[in-house]
Amino acid sequence: MGELSRVEDGFLYAFRAMASPCEARIETDDPGLAWRLGETAEAEAARIEAKYSRYRDDSLISRINRADGPVDVDSETAALLDYAAQCHAISDGRFDITSGVLRRAWRFDGSDRVPTPEEVAALAPLVGWDKVEWRAPRIRLARGMEIDFGGLGKEYAVDSAVAKMMALADVPLLVNFGGDLRVSGPRGGGGAWRVSIESVDVAGTAEGLIEIRTGGLTTSGDARRFLLKDGVRYSHILDPRTGWPVENPPRSVTVAAATCLEAGLLSTLAMLHGSEAEAFLASEGLQAWWMR
Amino acid sequence: MQLTKPGAISLALHALTANLFVAVAADAQDTRPPSVESAEAPSVNSDLANDQGLTRLDSAILFYQEAGGRIRATEPVVSGVLNGTAGETLSVRIVADSLTGATPNGAAPWTGPQTFTTPANKPGSTTTVTTASGGSTLVTLPGSGLTARQYTTPAGQLPVDAGFRDERIGVDGACSTPIAENTRVSVGGAYSAERDYRSGSLNAGITQDLNQKNTTLSLSANVEFDRSFPYFGTPTPLTEMSAAQKGPAQTKTVYSLVAGVTQVMNRHWLTQLSYSYGDSSGYQTDPYRILSVVDPTTGAPLTYLYESRPRSRTRQSLYWSNKIALGPTVTEISARGYEDSWGVKSITAEISERVPITSWLYVEPQARYYSQSAADFFRSYLISGQALPAYASSDSRLGKFDAETYGLKLGMKVGGSGEFYVLGEDYQQNGRNGSSTAPGGLAILNTFTGVKATSIMVGYTFAFY
Repeated sequence: MGELSRVEDGFLYAFRAMASPCEARIETDDPGLAWRLGETAEAEAARIEAKYSRYRDDSLISRINRADGPVDVDSETAALLDYAAQCHAISDGRFDITSGVLRRAWRFDGSDRVPTPEEVAALAPLVGWDKVEWRAPRIRLARGMEIDFGGLGKEYAVDSAVAKMMALADVPLLVNFGGDLRVSGPRGGGGAWRVSIESVDVAGTAEGLIEIRTGGLTTSGDARRFLLKDGVRYSHILDPRTGWPVENPPRSVTVAAATCLEAGLLSTLAMLHGSEAEAFLASEGLQAWWMR
Repeated sequence: MQLTKPGAISLALHALTANLFVAVAADAQDTRPPSVESAEAPSVNSDLANDQGLTRLDSAILFYQEAGGRIRATEPVVSGVLNGTAGETLSVRIVADSLTGATPNGAAPWTGPQTFTTPANKPGSTTTVTTASGGSTLVTLPGSGLTARQYTTPAGQLPVDAGFRDERIGVDGACSTPIAENTRVSVGGAYSAERDYRSGSLNAGITQDLNQKNTTLSLSANVEFDRSFPYFGTPTPLTEMSAAQKGPAQTKTVYSLVAGVTQVMNRHWLTQLSYSYGDSSGYQTDPYRILSVVDPTTGAPLTYLYESRPRSRTRQSLYWSNKIALGPTVTEISARGYEDSWGVKSITAEISERVPITSWLYVEPQARYYSQSAADFFRSYLISGQALPAYASSDSRLGKFDAETYGLKLGMKVGGSGEFYVLGEDYQQNGRNGSSTAPGGLAILNTFTGVKATSIMVGYTFAFY
């Protein structure tokens, strides 16, 4: 159960889910309503985590990954798999929900343990959405392959929680699950929500302040997850097409978009463009902030 | 896929994301790209909001008053919708009506006073029914021993029966569930009971989503069984009004079919077209309504006959409605055309516009225009000496008239999840059934019995998971 505290213009409901601190900011004078809305956000986070977390043995994702054969999925999951497939297509294969297997070779713990090319190449047959048999509602993974919604589950949960909360009450609100956030619209009186971007160097200090009135905002980065060997910094952003980290990505990219999900995909894609990240952001005409 | 156009990926992604949220029906919010200038704008597709697990309750009370001391109604309504977690819904509504007041009895006005005599007790009962209020008196008719109720209408006034009083209670419910990814079925039923009328109905329907849920086809069928048992029995049509007890209860059966298509035209525009066909057979006459039979020269009432309507009626209508969200306002605009085998043709046009005043207050002005032609057998009165038609009714609802309704709704968010609303409406029927060629004194009298009414509805709705 989360904690409710009074803040300027309303309430803050804070809880933990998806291995992250989560919060809902709710502009109302009614603490009962703030509780209900906060609990709605928490319940949605818990629902999606239980269904899609790869860390939970009883999740649907774990069941698909364990299954030695086809699995039929529900319509929500089917829609998300279709979405992931389409994102794979429009990103020329950069976005790939099968890439988690690469973590067997790459452990980003700040050490210098960089895998050998052979270790990485051995995983190549297990990575690639094009190797997955997917025709709604049935998915079949080749043995040893895995999928995860790491790149979109939390963002989807944010959008979904906001939608559920807005169905309950028309009050200005902001939902932030571990830095991926979405607002219901402007604050009361038409004002903007102020969001600070965490510094990549010193956790807990702010690097910049962004104001948003609509949509979602996410930040991707490799602030504290990288390998350093022989003076080379290996980013934790792995290109699923090569199995190797992308070259010279920004240390953090923050993108604003209509939904948290879009913002998340776009910030991840920007990172996957490595040294071309800024060019990608510019060519897409996105509202974005980055740090090198 | 090669996407080289600037912004192509984010545009494609925007479309994909919008599709995803339609697919999981989770996007209750505007998904336009963000802009510093953009004000909050409602999306017409918010009906697709994910209501899984949501319960919505609505309670309201309606006060209705017709001008000139005619019908006054008080109608409390409670309704609820429960949404299951797998897309099932259950809705229930309970409504109670209490109606009192005077209702036109169907006779034409006259330049002199008119006295009407009607049965006073129910068939089989020996005690009088004390509906004799509003200026009528109970009399025992000499010679027959029958107790009758009599009331007199003053000269020049529209004859009304002031003894009208009824209570009604109605219950209806429906449940629906998805049976496949894009297919939903529903079944429902309704029952209502008045002192002299019972009605029960059953319905079943199916909807099919196509085209990534941008198109929805629907088909539903309804069957209704009614039973009418007037206070003093059912009079034989076109017989003379009298104090004698009348015939047995009567029934009516109605079958109807509605087919529709709903189309999301774009993010701001939702349009719906539906066609309905209905077939009713059985007793459809108003057992309390009479017609004057007038002298062909003077126009003076000679006798009063009970009205008569055909036992069969088929109706069809076409309805087109649009919901348009542009900027912060939501406009609803609709039109309906109707015709039936009784010769009534009508059109309805309606518009309403919801305008937010603040984040917690909105106003919604609304206007409706209605116009209909008369049924083939509509007669303001019958003329003595002329052949009696098979069917005749002076009910103004079957006559030619047009009507305008103007309303204003005020909605106020209360405590975030609740909404308090007040709707005021003014309704006016316009028509004139008088004619300069009418016999004698009737030429200067307007026999139109249309309604002018005011209603106020006060309600509170709230939702919770």
